[in-house]
Amino acid sequence: MIRKLKSKSPYFIKISFFIALAIIAIAGGITYMTTNNLSKSSNLVVETYIVNVELEQILSYLKDAETGQRGFIITNDSLYLEPYLESREKINNSFAELKELTRNNKLQQNNLRALSSLIDNRLNHFEKSSWFSVNNDLKNPKFDAVFLEGKDLMDKIRRKIGDMIDYELNELARRQEDYKTDARLTPVFLFVLILLSIGLVLLAYDRISKDIRVLKKSNEELEIFKESANQSEIISRHGNWILNMEENSYTYSDNLFRLLGEQPQSFKPELDTFMGYVHPDDVEQLEKDVEDMIENEHLPFVNYRIIQKSGNIRYFKSYGQILILSGVKKLIGTTTDVTEEIESYKLLEERNSELERNNKELSAFNHVASHDLQEPLRKIQTFLSRLIDKESENISENGQMYISRIQNAATRMRTLIDDLLQFSRTNKTEKVFETANINILLESAKQDLAEAISDSNAMITADKFPVMQVIPFQIQQLFSNLIGNSIKYQKKDTTPKIAITYQRINAIEEDKLIKPKREHYHKLTFTDNGIGFDNQYAEKIFVLFNRLHSKSDFSGTGIGLSICKKIVDNHKGYIFANGTEDKGAVFEVFLPI
Amino acid sequence: MNENYIKIVLADDDEDDRLFFTEAFEELKIKTKVSTFNDGVFLMDYFNTENAVLPEVLFLDLNMPRKSGIECLKELRANKKFKDIAIAIYSTSSSEEDIENTFVLGANIYIKKPNDFKSLKKVLSDVVTLNWQYHTNGLNKDNFLLRL
Repeated sequence: MIRKLKSKSPYFIKISFFIALAIIAIAGGITYMTTNNLSKSSNLVVETYIVNVELEQILSYLKDAETGQRGFIITNDSLYLEPYLESREKINNSFAELKELTRNNKLQQNNLRALSSLIDNRLNHFEKSSWFSVNNDLKNPKFDAVFLEGKDLMDKIRRKIGDMIDYELNELARRQEDYKTDARLTPVFLFVLILLSIGLVLLAYDRISKDIRVLKKSNEELEIFKESANQSEIISRHGNWILNMEENSYTYSDNLFRLLGEQPQSFKPELDTFMGYVHPDDVEQLEKDVEDMIENEHLPFVNYRIIQKSGNIRYFKSYGQILILSGVKKLIGTTTDVTEEIESYKLLEERNSELERNNKELSAFNHVASHDLQEPLRKIQTFLSRLIDKESENISENGQMYISRIQNAATRMRTLIDDLLQFSRTNKTEKVFETANINILLESAKQDLAEAISDSNAMITADKFPVMQVIPFQIQQLFSNLIGNSIKYQKKDTTPKIAITYQRINAIEEDKLIKPKREHYHKLTFTDNGIGFDNQYAEKIFVLFNRLHSKSDFSGTGIGLSICKKIVDNHKGYIFANGTEDKGAVFEVFLPI
Repeated sequence: MNENYIKIVLADDDEDDRLFFTEAFEELKIKTKVSTFNDGVFLMDYFNTENAVLPEVLFLDLNMPRKSGIECLKELRANKKFKDIAIAIYSTSSSEEDIENTFVLGANIYIKKPNDFKSLKKVLSDVVTLNWQYHTNGLNKDNFLLRL
């Protein structure tokens, strides 16, 4: 929104203003010209009237001269000649005036010249007719002729002047017509222009007020953003700072002060003041970092500690990047209080090393179990076998029974140790997955159990398995434990039958699979006809050292199925047991595809 | 020395084990001459004497004080003089690590000490009567560990 404001509106407003200014300038120019024309044409009107007046004047002077001349002819008194003589001069003056007034009009100048020659002619006739009067020759017919000629000339002059006046009046009428049109059109044009410029100004005003509204809104949004930034600073324990590179001055956000354990804006942010909070051991490094930051205009992640006034040590992490705003370089930085993270990381590290220690102890214990415990046991067993072989005649029946009991206990102890070892080996995380032929693994498991199988005459049937991604020795172990289990928990006088079936299943179709990670699973089902178990123990059966039968009925350590569970867990699969007492047990193994 | 006897040496720090070992050979109907050493140092000291009579088969316990079976194995396989001795590892442990190590270092067979005397006798007789030439030629990790 802010960007839009920046890019479009100012252009529009500028253009509107310039157009409005241009219109006003044009309107001014037109007004000036119109006014100019107006005064010009009013001047012309005046001029026309002056010309007409002068022309009338000339006629009237001529009439005066004529009257004077006539008086002289009748009376022969020179008194009457006075107006005649005066009029001559006056006519000349008027002519000069007219010449000046009509200097721009060729036609009128020509007319004026014709008029002038007519007047000269007429005045000559005055002289001529005056001559007849002076000589008292009025009865001369020539006088009559001259007099008549003079009258004709006078008529011609009158007509000429009348023509000239008409011409001037026509010109005036024409000019007035033009002026009228001008005067009618100009105001309309001006009005339209002014309306146009008012429209533009209004449009610009509308745009400006719209922009102001947008600006106000973005201001509000900025305010909201600022507040939420403030809150997020508090929540996430970080503060912002700005370094003005030109002025070398700092500004801190409120929360940065809080992180330092101070009231917001309670002191002037300066590098030295800040360094005062930094842990003495970290000051040197941080000072170097800040120097590098100013030189490189970038602050990579730096870690340091500060000490609040209360004495609390906090871990800080800072980062900064250059931003150029209106040509001013500013380093915008963020500082985070990472004390909690570091502390929890330390705690985690501690726990980790503790775990590692425990693991080491456990493997040391395993070593003890595998070597040091086995060695005396082996000797007990070997000596027992020596006793039975070599000395049995020398031992009473009771003694032999005791020896046999000792032998059983020793055997049981060995099984326990072996199973425990196996369990801990399964625990070890050497999880190397390989593409394995499961059919071969099953055969190997059967070989491991060859003695038990042949002793019990167990019948084992199995589907053909596809290759799977597994830890081969563990899967073999799984097979041998499950089959071994089925053989061990057989009903008396029944041949054990074990069926192993295979199915490829969709995870969603099996309700038992809780939160399956894969879409498809291999499903291996082990069904036997053994003694089964009460289904309420279906889950307990996999717990370490959990036994459902007494030791005297069935030998067992309670580890075998725990190993199976462990193996299946290692493969991120599932194992379920389902038993019916005296009918048999079903074990289902799901391995991810 | 009588050539009909098979010369056998055992290095084991455990007195009981040495006893079982010699008793087992006494009961076996194989003509053998068994000598025992109490640890690796005694064994190597004897082997390195000039007139030492070297055995056909050496049974080597791994866990011995002063010089372990592994160290003896390394020394023996580093010296051409002992190249004809068949070395059988004879240990309580059957850990993968030990089996792997001794196999790589050139032992010929790996025996886990049995739990009863009958098995012991069977194992020892099997090992002594083994066709070493044949066994060593086809030696791989699978038949390295002697299974009963």
